[in-house]
Amino acid sequence: MILPSSPFAIVALACAGIAASILLVYLVRQPPLMRATKVWLLLGLGVFPVGTALIGNVEGYQATKKRQFCGSCHVMGLHAADSNDAKSGSLAARHARNASFGEENCYVCHADYGMFGTVATKIGGMRHVWLYYRRYRQIPIDEAKKTIRLRAPYPNDNCIQCHSTKDDLWLKKADHKASLAAVREGHISCASAGCHGLAHPFFGADTP
Amino acid sequence: MKPPTSTQTLRAACLLALAALGMMVWSLFDPRPVPIIAAMSVGQVLGTLSLASFLYLVAANLRARR
Repeated sequence: MILPSSPFAIVALACAGIAASILLVYLVRQPPLMRATKVWLLLGLGVFPVGTALIGNVEGYQATKKRQFCGSCHVMGLHAADSNDAKSGSLAARHARNASFGEENCYVCHADYGMFGTVATKIGGMRHVWLYYRRYRQIPIDEAKKTIRLRAPYPNDNCIQCHSTKDDLWLKKADHKASLAAVREGHISCASAGCHGLAHPFFGADTP
Repeated sequence: MKPPTSTQTLRAACLLALAALGMMVWSLFDPRPVPIIAAMSVGQVLGTLSLASFLYLVAANLRARR
Protein backbone atom coordinates (compact mmCIF):
# COMPACT_ATOMS: atom_id res chain seq x y z
CA MET A 1 0.00 0.00 0.00
CA ILE A 2 1.48 3.36 -1.00
CA LEU A 3 0.25 6.91 -0.70
CA PRO A 4 -0.16 8.25 -4.23
CA SER A 5 1.91 11.38 -4.72
CA SER A 6 1.81 12.14 -8.44
CA PRO A 7 -0.39 15.06 -9.54
CA PHE A 8 -2.39 12.70 -11.77
CA ALA A 9 -3.18 10.36 -8.89
CA ILE A 10 -4.19 13.25 -6.65
CA VAL A 11 -6.57 14.60 -9.32
CA ALA A 12 -8.01 11.09 -9.79
CA LEU A 13 -8.53 10.74 -6.04
CA ALA A 14 -10.16 14.17 -5.87
CA CYS A 15 -12.55 13.23 -8.71
CA ALA A 16 -13.37 9.93 -6.98
CA GLY A 17 -13.96 11.72 -3.67
CA ILE A 18 -16.31 14.29 -5.21
CA ALA A 19 -18.22 11.61 -7.14
CA ALA A 20 -18.55 9.40 -4.05
CA SER A 21 -19.79 12.35 -1.97
CA ILE A 22 -22.47 13.22 -4.54
CA LEU A 23 -23.61 9.59 -4.76
CA LEU A 24 -23.69 9.09 -1.01
CA VAL A 25 -25.72 12.28 -0.52
CA TYR A 26 -28.16 11.06 -3.17
CA LEU A 27 -28.44 7.61 -1.56
CA VAL A 28 -29.03 9.08 1.89
CA ARG A 29 -31.44 11.86 0.96
CA GLN A 30 -33.06 10.30 -2.12
CA PRO A 31 -34.41 13.59 -3.54
CA PRO A 32 -37.01 13.55 -6.36
CA LEU A 33 -35.62 13.31 -9.89
CA MET A 34 -35.76 16.99 -10.81
CA ARG A 35 -33.49 18.89 -13.15
CA ALA A 36 -31.04 19.82 -10.37
CA THR A 37 -30.89 16.20 -9.17
CA LYS A 38 -30.19 15.03 -12.72
CA VAL A 39 -27.35 17.52 -13.10
CA TRP A 40 -25.82 16.43 -9.79
CA LEU A 41 -26.18 12.78 -10.76
CA LEU A 42 -24.63 13.47 -14.15
CA LEU A 43 -21.63 14.84 -12.28
CA GLY A 44 -21.58 11.97 -9.78
CA LEU A 45 -22.22 9.14 -12.23
CA GLY A 46 -20.64 10.59 -15.36
CA VAL A 47 -18.21 13.47 -15.27
CA PHE A 48 -16.21 12.71 -12.13
CA PRO A 49 -16.12 8.89 -12.45
CA VAL A 50 -15.07 9.24 -16.11
CA GLY A 51 -12.33 11.63 -14.98
CA THR A 52 -11.24 9.13 -12.33
CA ALA A 53 -11.22 6.31 -14.88
CA LEU A 54 -9.28 8.24 -17.51
CA ILE A 55 -6.66 9.55 -15.12
CA GLY A 56 -6.61 6.24 -13.24
CA ASN A 57 -5.85 4.43 -16.51
CA VAL A 58 -2.89 6.69 -17.20
CA GLU A 59 -1.70 6.25 -13.63
CA GLY A 60 -2.23 2.48 -13.79
CA TYR A 61 -0.35 2.24 -17.06
CA GLN A 62 2.56 4.20 -15.59
CA ALA A 63 2.53 1.95 -12.53
CA THR A 64 2.82 -1.18 -14.68
CA LYS A 65 6.13 0.12 -16.01
CA LYS A 66 7.74 0.42 -12.58
CA ARG A 67 10.13 -2.13 -11.08
CA GLN A 68 8.08 -2.14 -7.89
CA PHE A 69 5.14 -3.48 -9.91
CA CYS A 70 7.19 -6.26 -11.55
CA GLY A 71 8.74 -7.17 -8.20
CA SER A 72 5.36 -7.38 -6.48
CA CYS A 73 5.06 -11.04 -7.59
CA HIS A 74 7.31 -12.95 -5.20
CA VAL A 75 9.01 -14.93 -7.97
CA MET A 76 10.36 -11.64 -9.35
CA GLY A 77 11.50 -10.40 -5.94
CA LEU A 78 15.12 -11.43 -6.44
CA HIS A 79 15.27 -9.71 -9.81
CA ALA A 80 13.88 -6.50 -8.37
CA ALA A 81 16.16 -6.66 -5.33
CA ASP A 82 19.20 -7.15 -7.56
CA SER A 83 18.20 -4.14 -9.68
CA ASN A 84 17.79 -2.08 -6.50
CA ASP A 85 21.22 -3.12 -5.24
CA ALA A 86 23.66 -0.28 -5.89
CA LYS A 87 26.60 -2.68 -5.48
CA SER A 88 25.37 -5.33 -7.92
CA GLY A 89 27.32 -5.65 -11.15
CA SER A 90 24.65 -7.58 -13.04
CA LEU A 91 23.51 -6.32 -16.40
CA ALA A 92 20.05 -5.55 -15.00
CA ALA A 93 21.42 -3.59 -12.03
CA ARG A 94 23.83 -1.59 -14.17
CA HIS A 95 20.97 -0.58 -16.44
CA ALA A 96 18.80 0.31 -13.43
CA ARG A 97 21.48 2.80 -12.37
CA ASN A 98 21.25 4.49 -15.76
CA ALA A 99 18.80 7.40 -15.63
CA SER A 100 17.29 6.41 -18.99
CA PHE A 101 16.11 3.15 -17.42
CA GLY A 102 15.91 3.91 -13.70
CA GLU A 103 12.76 2.70 -11.98
CA GLU A 104 11.45 1.38 -15.29
CA ASN A 105 14.39 -0.83 -16.18
CA CYS A 106 12.32 -4.05 -16.32
CA TYR A 107 9.90 -2.51 -18.77
CA VAL A 108 12.46 -0.71 -20.93
CA CYS A 109 14.51 -3.88 -21.45
CA HIS A 110 11.64 -6.37 -21.77
CA ALA A 111 9.09 -4.32 -23.71
CA ASP A 112 8.62 -5.02 -27.37
CA TYR A 113 8.99 -1.91 -29.42
CA GLY A 114 7.66 -0.83 -32.78
CA MET A 115 4.23 0.40 -33.76
CA PHE A 116 2.24 -2.08 -31.65
CA GLY A 117 4.97 -2.76 -29.12
CA THR A 118 3.07 -1.38 -26.14
CA VAL A 119 -0.03 -3.41 -26.94
CA ALA A 120 2.01 -6.57 -27.56
CA THR A 121 3.87 -6.04 -24.30
CA LYS A 122 0.66 -5.58 -22.34
CA ILE A 123 -0.89 -8.71 -23.87
CA GLY A 124 2.28 -10.59 -22.92
CA GLY A 125 2.02 -9.11 -19.43
CA MET A 126 -1.51 -10.48 -19.07
CA ARG A 127 -0.11 -13.89 -19.94
CA HIS A 128 2.42 -13.46 -17.11
CA VAL A 129 -0.33 -12.60 -14.65
CA TRP A 130 -2.35 -15.63 -15.76
CA LEU A 131 0.65 -17.95 -15.42
CA TYR A 132 1.54 -16.49 -12.04
CA TYR A 133 -1.90 -17.10 -10.56
CA ARG A 134 -2.26 -20.52 -12.23
CA ARG A 135 1.21 -21.97 -11.63
CA TYR A 136 3.73 -19.87 -9.78
CA ARG A 137 1.86 -18.18 -6.97
CA GLN A 138 2.33 -21.02 -4.53
CA ILE A 139 5.80 -22.19 -5.46
CA PRO A 140 8.78 -21.23 -3.32
CA ILE A 141 11.44 -18.99 -4.75
CA ASP A 142 14.04 -21.79 -4.89
CA GLU A 143 11.79 -23.82 -7.13
CA ALA A 144 10.95 -20.76 -9.21
CA LYS A 145 14.64 -20.22 -9.85
CA LYS A 146 14.83 -23.62 -11.51
CA THR A 147 11.62 -23.48 -13.49
CA ILE A 148 11.09 -19.89 -14.66
CA ARG A 149 12.52 -19.13 -18.06
CA LEU A 150 11.92 -16.56 -20.75
CA ARG A 151 9.38 -17.93 -23.21
CA ALA A 152 11.63 -17.03 -26.16
CA PRO A 153 15.30 -16.08 -26.30
CA TYR A 154 15.88 -12.45 -25.30
CA PRO A 155 15.88 -10.46 -28.55
CA ASN A 156 19.03 -8.50 -29.36
CA ASP A 157 16.79 -5.88 -30.96
CA ASN A 158 15.93 -4.70 -27.46
CA CYS A 159 19.63 -4.04 -26.76
CA ILE A 160 20.17 -2.52 -30.20
CA GLN A 161 17.52 0.15 -29.46
CA CYS A 162 20.25 1.93 -27.49
CA HIS A 163 23.47 0.11 -28.45
CA SER A 164 23.04 0.62 -32.16
CA THR A 165 26.07 -1.54 -33.18
CA LYS A 166 26.98 1.24 -35.57
CA ASP A 167 29.17 3.62 -33.62
CA ASP A 168 32.96 3.47 -33.67
CA LEU A 169 33.34 2.84 -29.95
CA TRP A 170 31.19 -0.28 -30.14
CA LEU A 171 32.94 -1.49 -33.30
CA LYS A 172 36.36 -0.98 -31.72
CA LYS A 173 35.82 -4.12 -29.65
CA ALA A 174 37.24 -7.03 -31.60
CA ASP A 175 34.49 -9.38 -30.38
CA HIS A 176 31.80 -6.98 -31.53
CA LYS A 177 33.40 -6.53 -34.92
CA ALA A 178 33.87 -10.26 -35.43
CA SER A 179 30.30 -11.11 -34.53
CA LEU A 180 28.56 -8.07 -35.99
CA ALA A 181 26.31 -9.88 -38.47
CA ALA A 182 25.44 -12.65 -36.00
CA VAL A 183 24.53 -10.10 -33.31
CA ARG A 184 22.37 -8.05 -35.66
CA GLU A 185 20.57 -11.15 -36.89
CA GLY A 186 20.13 -12.45 -33.36
CA HIS A 187 22.20 -15.61 -33.79
CA ILE A 188 24.44 -14.62 -30.87
CA SER A 189 22.69 -13.25 -27.79
CA CYS A 190 24.16 -10.12 -26.19
CA ALA A 191 22.89 -11.45 -22.84
CA SER A 192 24.59 -14.82 -23.03
CA ALA A 193 27.26 -16.30 -20.82
CA GLY A 194 29.98 -15.82 -23.46
CA CYS A 195 29.18 -12.16 -24.06
CA HIS A 196 27.77 -9.76 -21.46
CA GLY A 197 26.56 -12.52 -19.18
CA LEU A 198 23.05 -13.26 -18.00
CA ALA A 199 21.11 -10.15 -17.10
CA HIS A 200 19.92 -11.57 -13.78
CA PRO A 201 22.36 -13.41 -11.56
CA PHE A 202 19.96 -15.86 -9.92
CA PHE A 203 18.28 -17.62 -12.79
CA GLY A 204 19.52 -19.95 -15.49
CA ALA A 205 20.15 -19.27 -19.14
CA ASP A 206 17.35 -17.77 -21.23
CA THR A 207 17.35 -20.72 -23.58
CA PRO A 208 16.88 -24.29 -22.34
CA MET B 1 -41.65 -9.83 -12.13
CA LYS B 2 -42.11 -6.08 -12.05
CA PRO B 3 -39.59 -3.86 -13.88
CA PRO B 4 -37.49 -1.80 -11.46
CA THR B 5 -38.73 1.70 -10.67
CA SER B 6 -36.63 4.71 -11.55
CA THR B 7 -35.63 5.15 -7.91
CA GLN B 8 -34.47 1.55 -7.68
CA THR B 9 -32.54 1.88 -10.95
CA LEU B 10 -30.88 5.07 -9.75
CA ARG B 11 -29.95 3.51 -6.42
CA ALA B 12 -28.44 0.54 -8.24
CA ALA B 13 -26.54 2.90 -10.57
CA CYS B 14 -25.16 4.79 -7.57
CA LEU B 15 -24.06 1.56 -5.87
CA LEU B 16 -22.43 0.30 -9.08
CA ALA B 17 -20.60 3.60 -9.49
CA LEU B 18 -19.41 3.49 -5.87
CA ALA B 19 -18.09 -0.05 -6.40
CA ALA B 20 -16.32 1.07 -9.59
CA LEU B 21 -14.81 4.08 -7.83
CA GLY B 22 -13.68 1.83 -4.98
CA MET B 23 -11.78 -0.39 -7.42
CA MET B 24 -10.17 2.56 -9.16
CA VAL B 25 -9.07 4.10 -5.86
CA TRP B 26 -7.77 0.72 -4.66
CA SER B 27 -5.52 0.50 -7.74
CA LEU B 28 -4.09 3.96 -6.97
CA PHE B 29 -3.17 2.99 -3.41
CA ASP B 30 -2.05 -0.54 -4.22
CA PRO B 31 -0.55 -0.58 -7.73
CA ARG B 32 -0.11 -4.34 -8.11
CA PRO B 33 -1.36 -6.54 -10.95
CA VAL B 34 -4.72 -7.62 -9.49
CA PRO B 35 -5.95 -4.16 -8.35
CA ILE B 36 -4.85 -2.53 -11.60
CA ILE B 37 -6.44 -5.22 -13.78
CA ALA B 38 -9.60 -5.11 -11.66
CA ALA B 39 -9.83 -1.32 -11.95
CA MET B 40 -9.22 -1.33 -15.70
CA SER B 41 -11.70 -4.13 -16.43
CA VAL B 42 -14.40 -4.79 -13.81
CA GLY B 43 -14.25 -1.23 -12.47
CA GLN B 44 -14.76 0.28 -15.90
CA VAL B 45 -17.56 -2.11 -16.82
CA LEU B 46 -19.41 -1.28 -13.58
CA GLY B 47 -18.86 2.45 -14.10
CA THR B 48 -20.07 2.27 -17.70
CA LEU B 49 -23.14 0.28 -16.66
CA SER B 50 -24.04 2.80 -13.98
CA LEU B 51 -23.69 5.76 -16.36
CA ALA B 52 -25.62 3.92 -19.09
CA SER B 53 -28.49 3.13 -16.76
CA PHE B 54 -28.64 6.75 -15.60
CA LEU B 55 -28.65 8.05 -19.19
CA TYR B 56 -31.31 5.49 -20.15
CA LEU B 57 -33.45 6.65 -17.26
CA VAL B 58 -33.08 10.32 -18.19
CA ALA B 59 -33.94 9.54 -21.81
CA ALA B 60 -36.99 7.52 -20.75
CA ASN B 61 -38.02 10.38 -18.46
CA LEU B 62 -37.78 12.90 -21.29
CA ARG B 63 -39.70 10.62 -23.66
CA ALA B 64 -42.48 10.17 -21.10
CA ARG B 65 -42.83 13.95 -20.75
CA ARG B 66 -43.42 14.37 -24.47
